[in-house]
Amino acid sequence: MTKQVNMKIDGKDVSVPADWTVIKACHENSVEVPHYCYHPDLSIAGNCRICMVGVKGMPRPVVACAQPVAEGMEVSTTGKDVEEARKGVMEFLLINHPLDCPECDQSGECKLQDYSYEYGRDHGRFHEEKVRKSKATMGPHVKYWGSRCIVCTRCVRFTDEVSGEGELNVIYRGDRSEIALFPGKNLDNPLSMNTVDICPVGALVSSDFLFQSRVWHLHSNPSVCADCAVGCNSRVDMDAKNLIKRIVPRRNDAVNKSWMCDHGRLSFGYTHENRLQKPKVHGKDASWKEARAAALELLSAPHSVALVSAWNTNEAMSAMKEFLNTEFPSIRIFGYANKTEADQTFPGFTISGDKNPNRAGLKQVLGVDPEASIQALAAENAAIGTLFLVHNIPGFELTRELKAIMDRAQNVVLLDFASGELLRYGNVAVALPTLTSFEKSGTFVNRQGIAQSFEPVMEPVTYGMPETEIVAGLGTALRATRPATGVLA
Amino acid sequence: MADATPFSPVILKHIHEPGSHTIEHYQARGGYETARNLVGTAEPASLVKIVEDSGLRGRGGAGFPTGKKWSFLAKGTGKPAYLAVNGDESEPGTFKDRYILEKDPHQLLEGVILTCWAIQSNHAFIYLRGEFILGYERLEAAVREAKAKGFIGKNIFGKNFDLKVVVMRGAGAYICGEETGMLSSIEGGRGYPKIKPPFPAVSGVFKCPTIVNNVETIAAVSHILKHGAAWHKQWGTEKSPGFKIFCLSGAVKNPGVYEVPLGITMREMIEVYGGGLIEGRTLKAVIPGGLSAPLLTPEMVDKCTLDYESLASLGSMLGSGGITVLHDGVDLMSAVYNTMRFYHHESCGQCTPCREGTGWLEKLAHKFHGGHAHSGDVDLVGEVAKNMRGRTICVLADAAAMPMQSYLQHFRGEFEKRTHEPAHVERLRTPRDEITPTAKRESVQHGAPNVVDVGMGMDRV
Repeated sequence: MTKQVNMKIDGKDVSVPADWTVIKACHENSVEVPHYCYHPDLSIAGNCRICMVGVKGMPRPVVACAQPVAEGMEVSTTGKDVEEARKGVMEFLLINHPLDCPECDQSGECKLQDYSYEYGRDHGRFHEEKVRKSKATMGPHVKYWGSRCIVCTRCVRFTDEVSGEGELNVIYRGDRSEIALFPGKNLDNPLSMNTVDICPVGALVSSDFLFQSRVWHLHSNPSVCADCAVGCNSRVDMDAKNLIKRIVPRRNDAVNKSWMCDHGRLSFGYTHENRLQKPKVHGKDASWKEARAAALELLSAPHSVALVSAWNTNEAMSAMKEFLNTEFPSIRIFGYANKTEADQTFPGFTISGDKNPNRAGLKQVLGVDPEASIQALAAENAAIGTLFLVHNIPGFELTRELKAIMDRAQNVVLLDFASGELLRYGNVAVALPTLTSFEKSGTFVNRQGIAQSFEPVMEPVTYGMPETEIVAGLGTALRATRPATGVLA
Repeated sequence: MADATPFSPVILKHIHEPGSHTIEHYQARGGYETARNLVGTAEPASLVKIVEDSGLRGRGGAGFPTGKKWSFLAKGTGKPAYLAVNGDESEPGTFKDRYILEKDPHQLLEGVILTCWAIQSNHAFIYLRGEFILGYERLEAAVREAKAKGFIGKNIFGKNFDLKVVVMRGAGAYICGEETGMLSSIEGGRGYPKIKPPFPAVSGVFKCPTIVNNVETIAAVSHILKHGAAWHKQWGTEKSPGFKIFCLSGAVKNPGVYEVPLGITMREMIEVYGGGLIEGRTLKAVIPGGLSAPLLTPEMVDKCTLDYESLASLGSMLGSGGITVLHDGVDLMSAVYNTMRFYHHESCGQCTPCREGTGWLEKLAHKFHGGHAHSGDVDLVGEVAKNMRGRTICVLADAAAMPMQSYLQHFRGEFEKRTHEPAHVERLRTPRDEITPTAKRESVQHGAPNVVDVGMGMDRV
């Protein structure tokens, strides 16, 4: 543990580690210090000059982001000097800014707007012609509006320090400065959209979200990305029609810091497209009651097995295990997983090659390794009565292994949210619609072994149910067929 | 002190002799002997002590005591120490280092060798302004000559001490003359100044301890270590000992570089060395230390002596020693505009107040120059300059704001003379009923002529 120093922030005594900066000490003690270029997960640039605070004994305000804390330091985040300094910086930031908020994507979540309201002047004094800068397409997901840029260099530092490709830099000098790609480069690394998040203004915008919605029409809920074994903490933004508009990272130092990969942000389409809307029995829409009865009948077939994917939540797996062990003890449970590939490692982030959010959970709850488990089932090569397949993997490419197992089964009872290849393949007698991880609650255990629970971010868009409820329904339906027991009998 | 031996140039002594840039010429006048005697034998700390005792102050502009700076060099870091010699002389009105580089580069190299021994650095960078083609060629040739003689390279002077000297050229940016901006440029990046602290002496080029000194400072070091601290202190004032090269330009009869003891009067510099003002002109103002120094009015010039303290007490600075004399015929608004255009062009664009403020000041100065500034713009200029000062990583913002503030302070009348009431203000004062309906309709149909295009928004992606 590093040494602690005692200091005062706005008159309040605090004790902070000696290697912190003043801005960090302020933020950790819930004292607001405005900042553009400072980012907790990037190096210090100290160029925006808005984070100025007063330090007792210093002749003029200092930038809090570059000022190390010291024993006995007295910091004030208010006062005439500080307010004047911030007002001056706000004015400078806006003189060449186009003030095109009505058509800017950042509007509503823009630090320029926030701080202008908080610290700026009520009118402009700049009557000269503004500097015009270029617009550019930086990469497949990122566009650049030069005139809005305040050259905080967060994006430059991100590409240098986190994604590591270093595609971006500042070109030209003075108020002509703008962000540009190195010749022959393209901002197409798998982390490129983080530059959009960290851009404090509307200079770097997401081509995917561009003009899709005003941010004040969106409502947000926290979630956990299910796209790989990292389990990035995310925030899902939806519009009034409950359509997911974008996904952005939530900061979690233990898991994903402030970052998230582009794939994770953009792979929400499966929630709205190609869904299994209603239960199906032999390819025809059925009511839940009919489907439950059909499923229960099939499950009692001899030599049945259950196959549970590593995309299911701990809760789903646990419920499944409990139900099958109690009601159908002869059914053995196997696991399987989505494809895995090599990890993509960057200087400041790793995208897991394991495209399953809950491989660790599968091991914990069902006690099986998915690959070994499905291989063991494949190796048996005996006829299967009913295959109880709990799938829930979006964009799954049907493997030869799974095809062979489905071929061996007389009937398949499928739990999936998509009306995809799996549903059409083979002998799917009963299909029960489930929900995506955006519509249900649950827990995923990531590759570090951290169990992360999440709540539904939106109302279900189909008649599907979470696996736990499906299992509960099956159990109830099963017990309803038996003679009543107990005190009321 | 002033009654010591009459001063004759030290650093510039030989610049007019033909072949002064060659090693033969330099050795013929005893060159490299000091280095030969001291490197490998003298205790490095004793050399730092001599420079500290001599009171030599940095000649680049800030005037920080050189020996003190050397003593701040972080030791025991496990990293190599570097010397970076700043030859990016780009302060307008300054042209002293250029003479050293072009006419007497070996003198500089000897200073580099001695400094490197004193601070125990095996690697020196000499960073030159990109435009110094001749200086670069001569310095490169000098390094080659010194290398061939064994003064630079492995085991210099046969002693157990290696020294590598790298000559680098900038790409013509003023900001690369700022010490940390120069270090960024040496590292191969944009010439962005770095946040201090940490100071270069602790974490400089490539995050290693680095001493940054001006060309003239290093050239003076070779003389101080030859003659001793007391020799250096016989000239100058108590707090500004020694001699300094001044670059005299503007409305004087004999502009040029003059090496003089510190503490002579500004009048002496102008009248004696400069030969007085050009015929028929009187003095309007003097910019004493390069363009960024606040200017001096004639009354202040009378009180001014050429040392760090006197100029500081007058609210200006000795700076790089570039003295520019303005005569009474100079249009001050033209000078202001020219100054602001320079800083706008040269701001690196890193910090907000400088990036935006220099541009704004230029635009305002342009309005004053063209005579279409509004009356309120006079105060605005002052406020913009005030908002720029002391709010940035390096002092370029101050360098632009300080002259503007001093122009405004001393010549406010000239600013006010160039303002007028804007047309729209006059129109607003016109009673409403005097505006005819026809005129109204026309202005709607054809668009008001003074409507500025504010369509800065991007129309298409």
